[in-house]
Order: sequence, then structure tokens, then C-alpha cells
Amino acid sequence: MNRLADVSRTYGLQGAILALVIVAVLVVAPDFVGQPAAFSVLERLVPLGIITAGIAVTMIVGELDLSIASVAALSGATAILLSNSGLGLVPVLLVATAAGAAVGALQGWAVARLGISSLVLTVGTLILFRGATSLVTGGVPITPDDYGVSDQLLMRYGVLSPTSITALLVLVVLGVFLSRTRPGMALYAVGGGRNEAVAAGVPLRPTLVIAFAISGGCGALAGALSSLRSASATPDGFTNMLLLGVAAALVGGISLAGGRGGMVNVLLGVVITSTLAAGLSSVGFKAFVAELFTGVLLLAVIGADAAVRWISRRRYLAEQRRQLSGLSAIDLTAAEPEVSRR
Amino acid sequence: MTTTAPPPTSTPAPRTAADTWQRKTARIVADYAMPLLVLFVLVLASVTTDGFADGANLRAILISTAITGIAAVGMTAITLTGNLFSLGIGSTVVLCGIVFLAVAGATGSVLVGVLVAVGASLLLGLAQALIVGAGLNPVITTLAFGAIVYGCVAVGTGGEVVTAGSVPVTRLATASVLGLPLPVIIFIAMTALVSFLTARTVTGRRMRLLGENRATAGTSGISAMKGTVVAFASLSVGAALAGILSAAQLRQMQANDLPNLTLDVIAAVLVGGAAINGGEASAVRTALGALLIVILGNVMLLQGLAPGERLFGVGAVVVVLVVLLHLLRKAGAR
Repeated sequence: MNRLADVSRTYGLQGAILALVIVAVLVVAPDFVGQPAAFSVLERLVPLGIITAGIAVTMIVGELDLSIASVAALSGATAILLSNSGLGLVPVLLVATAAGAAVGALQGWAVARLGISSLVLTVGTLILFRGATSLVTGGVPITPDDYGVSDQLLMRYGVLSPTSITALLVLVVLGVFLSRTRPGMALYAVGGGRNEAVAAGVPLRPTLVIAFAISGGCGALAGALSSLRSASATPDGFTNMLLLGVAAALVGGISLAGGRGGMVNVLLGVVITSTLAAGLSSVGFKAFVAELFTGVLLLAVIGADAAVRWISRRRYLAEQRRQLSGLSAIDLTAAEPEVSRR
Repeated sequence: MTTTAPPPTSTPAPRTAADTWQRKTARIVADYAMPLLVLFVLVLASVTTDGFADGANLRAILISTAITGIAAVGMTAITLTGNLFSLGIGSTVVLCGIVFLAVAGATGSVLVGVLVAVGASLLLGLAQALIVGAGLNPVITTLAFGAIVYGCVAVGTGGEVVTAGSVPVTRLATASVLGLPLPVIIFIAMTALVSFLTARTVTGRRMRLLGENRATAGTSGISAMKGTVVAFASLSVGAALAGILSAAQLRQMQANDLPNLTLDVIAAVLVGGAAINGGEASAVRTALGALLIVILGNVMLLQGLAPGERLFGVGAVVVVLVVLLHLLRKAGAR
């Protein structure tokens, strides 16, 4: 019973939004049902879902990795070059993810060691990696020599595909890591109250390194999968993924302040924004209409969140006042020593 | 958000003369690093790069700095008040450019176009300021507004290119005052104005305190709402002017224009040495930051580097500079 209440309190707002979005999309696009609809929503888990997971992890630790979309672009270009050099699909993905994780770990180390704000550092690396992508591609779109690699990713099992299965696996693994392991829980401690966590003995530097390694790895995996699937990589690819990912994480209920939310929130946020985008595009609306509604949704979510916090604070204050007025039967000034003895 | 906690310091070391001297040096270097660096790069580029010190080239540098610079100087007030930065400035600039072209084209008057564009930007800024001033996160609010503005502009124009017809809007970009193009004059004027506002007025001092320590500012009776509204007004004016001048230069605009502007603007503010968490930012240094980024790109262009190499070079310089500025500030504050 209590668990049910907990779940509804934690995911209630997002669940309601999802229901609302589905109803709204069904009104606009009545044909957006069944397997094709589910498939087109799930297909958007790559790159958006994996990128959102990476952003969410850095948000949970109280930082923000703005460079993730550039890492995705760099990794997408590198993955295509690697597959051209004769490496198989799985080794390419592994190498790309490991390289992304290493780059991310370096950023996390710099943030922790120098005490620099991650927003500041990653704005710089965002431009840097974008330039590196341009260097790797030579400034022009590149394609694989052998399209067999992308054919492997375009297979379909019901509503799932190799890419969406990978994305779901990533979400599950990260979800277990965050909620069931000690380093995962350290992310929440550092994000919720950094000074308190450090005082309590949570290691700060490894925790930040892990968080940024995860976001770098997620960005790289998403970029490599997506570029290999579409069999092309451009120097200016994935530019809108940063904002879409941050929006999806926030709509899903991850807090920018840190320490709140998990992979279920990521999945909810991505499914909400993807349903909106896929539904609208199924009836011919351009992508910017979906972006417009995502913006409205984002404002509504933070507005609702602020309202809930305001109401619960009012309730808390009212409760305090009621308890105090109970006490006021005794003359407070005269009773002071008694109160303090208790 | 993202306040990277200072490493747990042990008991403060006793202050020696050498210690104070080092702190002073660090602070002086942090204050004057930007002008000195720009000067150094200018001299170095003139000596090593053919055609850099050419009058036409310097003029081109100033013109291409002006648009990013105006928007960045406007944003400096946002960063100063502790509201981080606006992720929606790119779409606001495009909106203002399109509104300017459409209104000027419809009424035949450039002035009416300018006024309507600035008014629209101010209204948009006010709406965001009210939300942010009420305590909502500025990054999310401006991100959401940016998406909404972009969507509205794209829907409103149908993704088509907007022009002002036969109305001579280019005059705004090409007119010359005191031998300098009008956008450069406006850039300098905007920098002077925001600099005066933030450094020499009571409102500016209060904005600084708000960014430095919001709780202390609150207990001293300083309204967070008022400071935020003024900061967003500065941002809105900067965005509107940048949009109008950009539209006047290009003579046309569409929703997908200026995709990199938001990040260029943020990079300029950060290279200018603004403290991301507020309390420390200077319009002059931001302007120099924008100038430095353009100069570096220009030098690399004259040296014959490819676009990818230039972007990589600028990115590397931004990373190194922001890390150095951060370390200097930390040394100065200790």
C-alpha cells in the first residue's frame, strides 16, 4: 500500500503528463496507434534516450555535461572511420564507448581537481569536440564504405530494434548501478549535499569522474549507434540533442539541483517527448512544432513542480503554526525554562 | 546548481607578507589579463600574419565581433546577477531580426521596425524575468522559452525566408559614423552603457550583491525580482540590437539562422572572465572576450587553416582560458 503511494508520489506527475500527451497526440493523429507508433517512439531512444541518460547522471551529481552532444558527433564520425578500417560492429561500438568514457573521465577529473564549474569547462569542450569532429570528417559528411554495418542495426523484432534494445539495456544497467551500488549511491549523496557528503566520507573526486565517464560513454555510444544506423556522420550533427536531452530529463523529473531522479524518470521523460515528436511528425507536422510543444511542456512541468513545492511548504508552515498555537495556552515567556528542559 | 564546492580547506594558513603579495598579483593579473591578452595577440598577429594589420581586415574583425559582442554584453548582466546564462538568446535574436524585417517591410519605416523589435524582445525578457525572479531555474526557463520562441517563429514564417522588401534596411549595417560602421558604434555604446549600469549605479551594485550572495542580498532588503528584471532588460536590448543588425546585414532571415550564436555568446562571457555563479562580471571584459575569439579565428583564417582546424583552435583556447581564469580567481580569493 505504502509502496503504491510512494510510486504515485514519485512518478505521478510524469505519469499524468504521459497520459495527457498520449490523449492529445491521439486527438491530433488518430492513426498513431499500435505497433508502428510504439516502434517509432522506441526508435527515438537512440540517440535521445542514451544521451538523456548521460545528461541525467551528471544532473544527479549536481553538475551538467554540456559537451555530450559534441562527444556524440565526434564518436559518430570516429565510428564510421573505424568501421571503414575493417573493424566489426560490436568492436567499433565498444571502442567508441570506451573512448567517450575516457574523455568524460578526464573532464570529471578536471572538474573535481580544479574545482571549476562543469558548465564553464564543458562549454569550452563543447566547441573543442565540435572542432575535432570537423577535423575527423574533413568538414564534409562521411559515409561508411560497407553499408552492411548499418543493415545489422536496421533489423526489427516486433516493436524493438538492435538500437532500441541497446538503449533499454543501457537504461537498465545504469538504473541498477545508480540504485543498487555504493558508487551509484555516492552520486546521489554528492548531488544532494556536496559538503555534507564529503564530510561524511563520500569520495568526491572518483564520484565526479564516474559521473562524467558515464555521460561521455553514453554520448559516444548514442553517437556511434545513430551514425552507423543512418550510415552517415556530419561535422554539425547532433547539435539539437543537448537541448532535447536536457528538456527530456527535466520533463521526466530529474532535478537540475542534483540528488533527485533516476533512470525511470529518464525513460518517462524520453517517452513523453518522443511520443509528442513522433505523433506530430506522423501527421506531417515539422519538427519545430514538436519543439514548440516541448518548450510549453517544460514550462508547465517546472511550473507544476514549483507550485507543488510552494503548497507543501505552506502546509508545513500551517502545521508548525498549529503546533505552536497548541503551545500558546501556556505563557511562552514564562514557560521557556520548562520547554528547554523538555 | 552546479556549485562546485571548494575543496575542504584546512585551517587557514597565517597570512604572511608573501602570501598577500601573491594574492594581490593574482588579482591584478585576473583583472587586467583580458586587455593585456588582447593586446598581446594583436601585436603577435600583426607581426606574424600578413594582411592582419590591414585596415580593411581590422574593420572586418570589428564588424564580425559586433553582433555576438552586443548580445554577449547584454547577457553579462544576467551572469552578474547569478542567473547563469540564457539558453534562449539565439532564438530571441532571430525573432527580433525577423520581426524587424517584417515590420519594416510592412510599414516602410526602419524606425518603427526597430522599435517594435526592441519592444517585443523586452516583453519576452520581462516574462522570463518574472518567472526567474519568482525562484525558478534560469537555465530551464530560458531553455523552454528558447524552444517556444523558435517554434513560434518557425510556425509563423512557415520556415520561409523573411525580407523587408524594398525598404533600405542595409543602411543600418553599412552606415558609417566617425569612420566606423554603425554596428561597431552600437557595440561600443552598449558596452559603455552596461558597464556604467553594473559598475557605477546603485542598481548595478545591488545586482552584483545579488549574484555574490543571494541570501545576504535578501536580508539587506534588496529585491531579487528587481535585479532580475533589470538584468533581463539588458539581455533583451542586447538580443534585439543583435537581431536587428544581423537582419540588416543579411537583408533576410529565417528561423534556422544563427544556430551557433547562443554558444558563441556564452563563450564570450566566460572568456571575459565572468564568474559563472554570479557576483563578478564586466561588460568591457566580455566585449574583449568576444573580440579575442574573433581575432583568433581571423588569424587562423589568414594562416590558411581549414574551418575544422579553426573551430578546434578556438575551442582549445576557450578551454585553456576559462581554466586559467578560474585558477587565477581562486588564487586571488584565497
